[in-house]
Amino acid sequence: MGSPAWEKRSHMQISQTLSRPLAQRVAGDKPHPPAPSPRLQGGGAQLPSNVIEAATAALDRGETHYTDRPGIPEFRGWVAEHLRERYHVNVDPSEVTITCGATEARYVCMTLLAEPGGSVLCPGDSARIRGALHLAGAKIVDSIQDDVRLLYITPDVYRETSIELLQRAEDSDWWIVYDLSFARTSAPFHPAQNAKLAARVVTIDSLSDHMAGWRLGWMAGSEMALRLRAGKQAITICTTAVSQWAGLEWLRSAK
Amino acid sequence: MTIHENPNIPDEVRAVAADGTQLRYALMEMAREMDEVIALGRGDPDLDTPPHIVEAAKTAIRDGRTELTPVKGMEDLRAAIAEHMRAVNGLPVGADNVMVTTGGQEGLFLAIQALIDPGDEILVPDPRYTSYDDAIRRAGGTMVSVPTNRDDAFNLEAEAVEAAISPASKALLIVTPSNPTAGIVTEDRLRAIAAVAIRHNLIVIVDEIYGKIVYEPWQHFSIGSLPGMAERTITLDAFSKTYAMTGWRCGYAAAPANVIDAMARIKQITTGPVATVSQWAGLAAISGPQDCVAEYLRIYTDRRAVLLEGLDRMGFAYGEPRGGLFVWADCSSTGIHATELSYLLLKEGRVLIFPGTAFGDAWREYVRITMLEPIETLKEAVERMLPVLDRYRA
Repeated sequence: MGSPAWEKRSHMQISQTLSRPLAQRVAGDKPHPPAPSPRLQGGGAQLPSNVIEAATAALDRGETHYTDRPGIPEFRGWVAEHLRERYHVNVDPSEVTITCGATEARYVCMTLLAEPGGSVLCPGDSARIRGALHLAGAKIVDSIQDDVRLLYITPDVYRETSIELLQRAEDSDWWIVYDLSFARTSAPFHPAQNAKLAARVVTIDSLSDHMAGWRLGWMAGSEMALRLRAGKQAITICTTAVSQWAGLEWLRSAK
Repeated sequence: MTIHENPNIPDEVRAVAADGTQLRYALMEMAREMDEVIALGRGDPDLDTPPHIVEAAKTAIRDGRTELTPVKGMEDLRAAIAEHMRAVNGLPVGADNVMVTTGGQEGLFLAIQALIDPGDEILVPDPRYTSYDDAIRRAGGTMVSVPTNRDDAFNLEAEAVEAAISPASKALLIVTPSNPTAGIVTEDRLRAIAAVAIRHNLIVIVDEIYGKIVYEPWQHFSIGSLPGMAERTITLDAFSKTYAMTGWRCGYAAAPANVIDAMARIKQITTGPVATVSQWAGLAAISGPQDCVAEYLRIYTDRRAVLLEGLDRMGFAYGEPRGGLFVWADCSSTGIHATELSYLLLKEGRVLIFPGTAFGDAWREYVRITMLEPIETLKEAVERMLPVLDRYRA
């Protein structure tokens, strides 16, 4: 077997080769996976007939190949239109990427927008970003620190707090991730309504409330949109084709 | 012959020329805006997913069996994959050694994130599929190239692997059949490489996504089946190429159970479980009739003959393509840099191929051409490319 130098590194077997940081991630400290949501357990059994029909029709059409890397144009167009109609936020469809659930969108955003060693300001529930930030080497703080470069915020954060932090984000050129998935409020507030912030705001949303098993989410906007798209491509290339067609029908009919 | 570098390349190509993955996508996006392009670039089979697989997915959808699964995948699918890998690949695995991934690429991404620390080196055969780069970069690892060569049909040599090993080496990536070279790593070479891996305590990550597309008389062989290798090997595969299922995004990994656990914990954070409908399709694929696999291989074999005949007419040399869906061809006889040649063939011939530089900086005398169009279309592609080559050949 290996030389003494190798034995010193203690990876004679793959079971012993897990790096120390990874060993901590998987066996020691909690790896901080996203907290399971009761709503994540369903998402399929009661799909409307038109969604089922759209999915099977897509398969009959042969929608079984890679889609465009950022997603099918119809879905991206729906997201852009939704943001415009619901929030009066202008995002070009080319700045929208369909992801494998909001999970992938959060992971890509956290690992590309957070700085290793830096802080991410999260004034609300941070359970869904802890794991990604752990892998990114960034830490979560719930109050303003000098090394904050990214603000993660959801609609459920108290509005006055949001406004105060967004003002600071504008002054300090922070990136902002606005996560609409699992939001309990439907108020039409959006950070990108402030034109000075719009280029630095990424919106995340998903269909996990209704179609969790289809793994559909999206990230939209910001001057980082193309880099975020490339980040997603590097992991999963594109999102499941039939899921996109089923999700599009669900969104259209819900609207 | 000296390859001349004509600067007559558009900005959108030049801007990404140093990044192989982005270069491929830039060319694909240019092609999308043109009419009647014959696309021999992306590795997306033009063949349809077999009907029995599609039907299984449709039944699952109609029955409402689309709820979220465990992050490692459906138990039935993991068991079926394990059974398949035991029977076909000779791997000593059970369901605990298997997880379902969102395509083969995610499998590699998870393996790298799970095993590579900052400062670790991972040995990667050159040329390479550059989408691996991002995974290695994110983990803080360093890629060390292991040379392969055309005269040897790009078969990886144990001596070349051993020569690239340093005290920082942690893992070896093997891709067989190879993307982009279409070479395979033969059983005798894999046995020698396994001995090196054991001697130097290397982890082996082997991507076998084209393993069922191997042309006679060659045969695929899984290094993880060799004595002493199961405990140090992560085997990656996917349904995408074998069953023409790229859009379903469903692959799988086999490894020691604790490594699978580690990869699954990361997958929980990065993408969550694979779409359930895709898992039902995957289950139908791996446990259903396999006639389609043999039929697709026959189709690709016929296409390969046509494409190679065309390359002979074009004056392109190549190592024998022993597996996979590509031909990796030497275009140095044209005297044109591969990036420029690919651009010219797209612009003037409306044929999309990828330059070798999209698979490693040094490969400016090579192009990758897929056989993922019907025979008549491949013949048409050759007829389109020939006059362009005649116009520009140095």
